[in-house]
Amino acid sequence: MATLFRPAERWRNRALILFALVLFFFALVLPFGMAVLWSLVDPSHPWAYPNVLPPVLSFRRWVEIWTTTGLQQALVNSYTVALTVSIATILLALPTAFAFGRMEFRGKAAAQVLTLLPLAMPLFVLAIFYVTILSKLGIYSRFLGIAIGHTVCLLPYAIRLLTVSFSGVRQDLIDAARDLGASRLTVFRHAYLPVLKPGLLAALIIVFILSIEEFAISYIVGAPDFTTVPTILFSYLGYNFIRPSAAAVSLILVVPNVLLMLIAERLLKSAGASGAAGKG
Amino acid sequence: MSSRRTLAPYLLLIPGLAPIIVLMTLVIGMAVSQSVTWTDVSGKVSLSLEAWRVTFESDQFWRAFLYSARIGTLGAILSVAFAYPVALWLRRPFAGSDLVSALIKAPILVHGLVAAFLYVNFVSFQGFLNVALVGLGLAARPIRMQNDPYAIGVVVLQVWKNMPLAFLILSGSVRAISDDVLNAARDLGAGTFGRLRRVVLPLTLRSLQAALIIIFIGAAGDYTFQAVAGPTSLNSMAQFMVRMETDNGLQGVSLAAVVAVMLMGLSLCGSILLAGLMQFLVKRAGR
Repeated sequence: MATLFRPAERWRNRALILFALVLFFFALVLPFGMAVLWSLVDPSHPWAYPNVLPPVLSFRRWVEIWTTTGLQQALVNSYTVALTVSIATILLALPTAFAFGRMEFRGKAAAQVLTLLPLAMPLFVLAIFYVTILSKLGIYSRFLGIAIGHTVCLLPYAIRLLTVSFSGVRQDLIDAARDLGASRLTVFRHAYLPVLKPGLLAALIIVFILSIEEFAISYIVGAPDFTTVPTILFSYLGYNFIRPSAAAVSLILVVPNVLLMLIAERLLKSAGASGAAGKG
Repeated sequence: MSSRRTLAPYLLLIPGLAPIIVLMTLVIGMAVSQSVTWTDVSGKVSLSLEAWRVTFESDQFWRAFLYSARIGTLGAILSVAFAYPVALWLRRPFAGSDLVSALIKAPILVHGLVAAFLYVNFVSFQGFLNVALVGLGLAARPIRMQNDPYAIGVVVLQVWKNMPLAFLILSGSVRAISDDVLNAARDLGAGTFGRLRRVVLPLTLRSLQAALIIIFIGAAGDYTFQAVAGPTSLNSMAQFMVRMETDNGLQGVSLAAVVAVMLMGLSLCGSILLAGLMQFLVKRAGR
């Protein structure tokens, strides 16, 4: 591949890669490194100007956040909502994605555009008037309110991902299975499921992560007593700016989600590969 | 049987599409209807344009409106301006291109609030930037850069977070341009800049417009970056809307509704204007 490039282009590419690495270091590695340092600042030895590094490092702040704040409850709330939302979203998205991925019908393109509506709506506008709708409908459960809001807002992602998976199922495999007398269930298990599985898992993970990360609906609907990880992080970043606590909660929010997202990306790549290769 | 088949796809659309349409219609309907109602001190609700009058007479509202329009426009244009050359550079794979591509996309995985915290932490008194400036002798003591009055921090955050998104959208369409088309243009005498103006830009116009629209809507409706890293003397439209709702008692919902309708209008009009401007510029460049 490299032979396609002239020596001058190769050198230019190397220089640009180096520039990208330096930029990445300053834009991500260094800020995260500082967040880690701030989360380890010992509460009895503050890190203040002119100290370049924290005078004493300890896990006391982590222990303090874990035992004395509402973080544990916020984690339980975030993960319970996200689990409910991801299952509900996938169940609702599956039939629609099947229609988009496997069927031709009048108005398909318009319907596909309509599914993207939540992405075009400013989320705080949605959140504020969604609360009014909930109270008019008599839905006062904050858990249910947030779960319904997240489900509707994240449907576009699940529908899109599953549509791609459904369209990757090969028609000749389905026809061959039917010709061999396979029942509907057998056709689904042998022709659909192997191709759908990676996309399904990826959609589940992506919706799960996006629900954990969602802030506007959780903040407006959940206020004041239903906290999630982003709302607790916001409370540390607002007027009451507690930097070491914010650093610790930031890491708690980011690290698991990055790991899950990497798994989702791997699954999506394998879904693309199996679809393209006609595996399954 | 035939009518069942004709109906089947529409019935299958219901579980996924109906909740979206119902919620969006209710939210838009609620915002519009609340904006034309007014609750007086006795709690009596009446149809009125009072909320519109009060909002339009407020200097703070217009400052928030222009501020959000500015942040949305700058965020969208700068993100696309940075992402486009990178997408062009990575069009043909080479040793290390996958690594660069992964590094560029990394900020997508970082939550907006975390990004805002990382930025504030970076530019704060104790942040790396101030430590480096003082250490290098470029400043005698730390400079206050947090919540800067020109909203440079908010724009930096918008670009930091949205440039990878623009890159994702643009790289697909840039890679879809076949070498045959570019070789044909070269054979016809077009230089590098000529190929960019007459082949690459027109073929990637739709993606450019999509990236601008998506980023503009997100940046104009921003709340978190502004609340954490934005100027304290200004509100974004989302922030102003939340403030109107919480600070104005009985009339709060009506005032917030006016701001919401204006924010939706800003998103729609701003998107159309940016997309139109891009189309005009690409067509002009192609002449």
